[in-house]
Amino acid sequence: MMQRPQGRPVNLTTERFLVRSLVPADACDRWCDWSADPDIMDPLNVPVRRASKDELMRYIARFDNDIGYLMGVFTKAMSLYIGFYMIEVNKMHATANVNLVIGDKTYWGKGVVNEVRAALLDEFFERRGVEKAYGTPLARNFPAVFNYKAQGWRLEGVLRGQCKSVVDGSRLDQYHFGMLRDEWRARKEKAA
Amino acid sequence: MSAMSTAKTLLAEALALPEGDLPANARIGAIEQWDSLAHTRILLALEERLGAPLDAEEAIAIESLEDIAALLVRRG
Repeated sequence: MMQRPQGRPVNLTTERFLVRSLVPADACDRWCDWSADPDIMDPLNVPVRRASKDELMRYIARFDNDIGYLMGVFTKAMSLYIGFYMIEVNKMHATANVNLVIGDKTYWGKGVVNEVRAALLDEFFERRGVEKAYGTPLARNFPAVFNYKAQGWRLEGVLRGQCKSVVDGSRLDQYHFGMLRDEWRARKEKAA
Repeated sequence: MSAMSTAKTLLAEALALPEGDLPANARIGAIEQWDSLAHTRILLALEERLGAPLDAEEAIAIESLEDIAALLVRRG
């Protein structure tokens, strides 16, 4: 099978964090532990099951930094790996679906999500041809929903009963949040 | 107790602030303590108070003290 060409890896710095495309060697026990933690996985509606390092390495290898990006968030001070962003780009429509996990719970409520996502929006809007970003958190993922609102994303719809809970089989609502490139630029200009 | 008074107590507890420090126009973005975790505490406290989960439209509408009071009136 022909392999897709690899794109340009992401390498960004924010005030407190380093954000870079992950490579298979980044698979670590810490990350394996996150996959077994219901506090982390349930709000994402992902089954709780401890992933092995091999599985994580294979997972990371699927991302090509062209249409699929998996980027780790590392603290500047200690180079501690605290979470990751996964972005899928649709080149035809110039859209990006943004997903994230902050696995290190000591960083919850510390403004990590929006600090890093702002840098990623800059990168994908200004240097990678994306014109619209969107995210679809579960309605019950209250912290994620708060972050979208606090960052100025527009609620574009409520997807009622959009998916089935991996915990109890009930149907779960999701929100659809969107951010257009021009809206992001205007927001930044206003804040400057 | 009025809905506004209940809302103020609920919000102050979730934000770990004295009620007297809460302005009448308290809202997301205007109070530093109203972060993602505090927001979760607010919504869970509301559900506990109402004895039922918030639906997606109700949860997304909570952005201010006034919104909390309005919800308590509607569901009261």
